[in-house]
Amino acid sequence: MPAVPTVEATMLGKLDWSAIPLDQPIPLAAGGVVLLVILGVLAWVVVKGHLPYLWHEWITSVDHKRIGVMYILLASVMLLRGGSDAIMMRIQQAIAYQSQGYLPPEHYNQIFSAHGTIMIFFVAMPFVIGLMNLVVPLQLGVRDVAFPTLNSVGFWLTATGALLVNLSLVIGEFARTGWLAFPPLSELSYSPGVGVDYYAWSLQISGVGTLVAGINLVTTVLKLRTKGMNYLRMPMFCWTTLASNLLIVAAFPILTATLAMLLLDRYLGFHFFTNEAGGNVMMFMNLIWAWGHPEVYILVLPAFGVYSEVVSTFSSKPLFGYRSMVLATMAICIISFMVWLHHFFTMGAGPDVNAIFGIASMIIAVPTGVKIYNWLFTMYGGRIRFATPMLWSVGFMVTFIIGGLTGVLVAVPPADFMLHNSMFLVAHFHNVIIGGVLFAAFAGFEYWFPKAFGFRLDERWGKVGFWFTFVGFWVTFMPLYIAGMLGMTRRMQHYDVAEWRPWMLVAAFGMLLLTIGVLAQVTQIVVSIRNREALRDRTGDPWDGRSLEWATSSPPPVFNFAFDPDVRGEDAYWALKHHAKQQQLEDHSGPEYQDIEMPKNSPTGFVCAFFATVMGFALIWHIWWMVILGGVGAFATFVVFAWRDHDEYVIPAAEVERIDRINIEERRNLVSLAGTL
Amino acid sequence: MSDQTHMHVEHDIAPGDEEQHSVRERILGYVVGLGLALLLTATSFFIAGTNLVWQPSIPVALIVLAIAQMGVHLVFFLHITTGPDNTNNVLALAFGLLVVFLVVGGTVWIMAHLNQNMPPMDQIMQMPR
Ligand code: HEM
Ligand SMILES: [Cu+2]
Repeated sequence: MPAVPTVEATMLGKLDWSAIPLDQPIPLAAGGVVLLVILGVLAWVVVKGHLPYLWHEWITSVDHKRIGVMYILLASVMLLRGGSDAIMMRIQQAIAYQSQGYLPPEHYNQIFSAHGTIMIFFVAMPFVIGLMNLVVPLQLGVRDVAFPTLNSVGFWLTATGALLVNLSLVIGEFARTGWLAFPPLSELSYSPGVGVDYYAWSLQISGVGTLVAGINLVTTVLKLRTKGMNYLRMPMFCWTTLASNLLIVAAFPILTATLAMLLLDRYLGFHFFTNEAGGNVMMFMNLIWAWGHPEVYILVLPAFGVYSEVVSTFSSKPLFGYRSMVLATMAICIISFMVWLHHFFTMGAGPDVNAIFGIASMIIAVPTGVKIYNWLFTMYGGRIRFATPMLWSVGFMVTFIIGGLTGVLVAVPPADFMLHNSMFLVAHFHNVIIGGVLFAAFAGFEYWFPKAFGFRLDERWGKVGFWFTFVGFWVTFMPLYIAGMLGMTRRMQHYDVAEWRPWMLVAAFGMLLLTIGVLAQVTQIVVSIRNREALRDRTGDPWDGRSLEWATSSPPPVFNFAFDPDVRGEDAYWALKHHAKQQQLEDHSGPEYQDIEMPKNSPTGFVCAFFATVMGFALIWHIWWMVILGGVGAFATFVVFAWRDHDEYVIPAAEVERIDRINIEERRNLVSLAGTL
Repeated sequence: MSDQTHMHVEHDIAPGDEEQHSVRERILGYVVGLGLALLLTATSFFIAGTNLVWQPSIPVALIVLAIAQMGVHLVFFLHITTGPDNTNNVLALAFGLLVVFLVVGGTVWIMAHLNQNMPPMDQIMQMPR
């Protein structure tokens, strides 16, 4: 290192041509394809003149429904990226028996690290946050979330994180440390490259976005409910949203602080987690899991909410044991903060500590079990319709029980000493995350798609997608349990044990089925968009739903409801509907239409995220002038936003009336049609 | 919550928006808060340097003063009260305290027991390879 920095070092930090991995064809090709697709889409948008539409209606939108859709779109695109990583790893393990396979170790390590990071932070998280954004205000009967512009900032910061992770494909490298970057491996002495910095800065930036989303949704549920919507009348999804976002607010700061300490170690020579100078790696383990375990419940609680809605709707019955469900949700919310040590049973703690945390972990299975029984009893005696969302839900129940049981198994410390960090563990968490969270994401997607876009999805392709994914999941992950019990550890780039080989081949075949499942779902979307006129839903209530999101048109107007719905009990819309049927929707003389004020669009989120991207990139490459530029830019954006005078616009009563009349007309037709049957 | 209860949403007030008080009263509140906060800060600095009290009690005194400081901030600056209009804020505070207690307490406990299942370093050094 020269004492006086050269001009290039000042201008470009660590960045030079060697950062482009010209010698590694696979990531370069992958990155190139992604880049081409992005540029292609951009070019198409500009040429077709869609840019103004995109800018005014989506990018600067502060409408919770639009933001929800964008979250889900981000998650879906990232699912394809994470899925490609998965395919590459399964192929590697299928062929790397007594050979090096086709992926060199340093590349394989980057793939499994990127896969985990992407799937948790940029697929599962945005998917559930997207569903919550889309649905919760509608279910609560309100016009928007508590902080609409903040909501947009949260989304765009998440997108920044995703962008940085993908940028690491073509400029530099990604972490080789696994999805939680344990030190000392992630410290400067063992990971001198920019990989860990890409990892840490993308999570810091998207973590701020997640925290913002959490604060927003907690406030929305606590403060913005329509008339009569008291806590014990809220749909289950709102309850699980509340619990999950309380966990976000409580847990994400721990992640931010932990990564900040790691970054201080790496950038400024601190010694929080180093081997020397009094650092303690176990503190990292402790802190990251104090966030990490609540995180898995942040993901799975909203999933439970989705299943509750779907199961009750498609069984045409109220949710069985609503109050016990609420209690179970809140119990999980608290207990999930009391079990984190189960992730490092094997790292030195004595019998007292291990036993207490082991028992606490097993106790979580109790409220979860309560929920499963409640869903089963909801189905019992109901008129069940096996539409695609319901298939995902039943598939979940079957699958998740196995995942929960193996969870309890690894929560037994002596058993965990055998199973920790084996393929058995890998099978456990994929079992709960795919079978729990991803299935819920798909169920919610199929269930609320007609609400968001005004037409249903093609059922046939949806079912094909479900069956391939469901069977594919079992074929891929059951062999991993077995391989784990045969002693195979996780994250192996190659191996020499003959007994493991057949199971790796079966798992690779399962991955093929999963891939077909994903392709079927992509086809489903394409086919449905093509046939959208035939699939159009004019009623706003395609599934005979029970909660308030079905009380408005599909897609809902910007203001969601012309009048604040008046809630008199659980299953608010179901009650309204039956009341209305009796009266044949005769009297609609109701109250006068009023002007409605809605928040104005704002580019704040997008501009903030732009500067955050600049700053993140500059921090990763030590380009200090650019860091300052990004920081000043982001702050200036905030100041400009804070000083604006007009933040709302008015929709005149006449316009509200016009929009609402159309909706009422469609519904009246529906009711009279139902009357003739 | 019974069915008759009104939406307490309307009664619940976010920290910061208190229309009922006059400007004078509010300024007075902030001044008192600032005074108390400064007093507690000054006391902490004084205690840390003094030898008028029994030395081992100093850390304890600092912890007590820090907690008092948090109380002052919550009451005077964040306006947490026990009034019925403050249920959400008090509950949020309680949840926050619970989580902090669990995480900090758990961490202290875990970190103190981390080496229980580990042989001492000199034994590891002598282990056959
Ligand atoms: C009955 C409930 C559950 C219990 C008792 C349980 C227990 C455990 C235990 C003890 C471990 C650590 C095992 C080891 O490292 O050796 C673990 C790992 C894991 N669990 Fe669970 N679990 C449960 C449910 C869930 C759910 C619902 C999710 C996600 C939605 C989940 C996600 C994970 C993940 C991601 C890991 C591995 C993290 C890693 O090491 O990379 N678990 N679980
Ligand atoms: Cu856990």
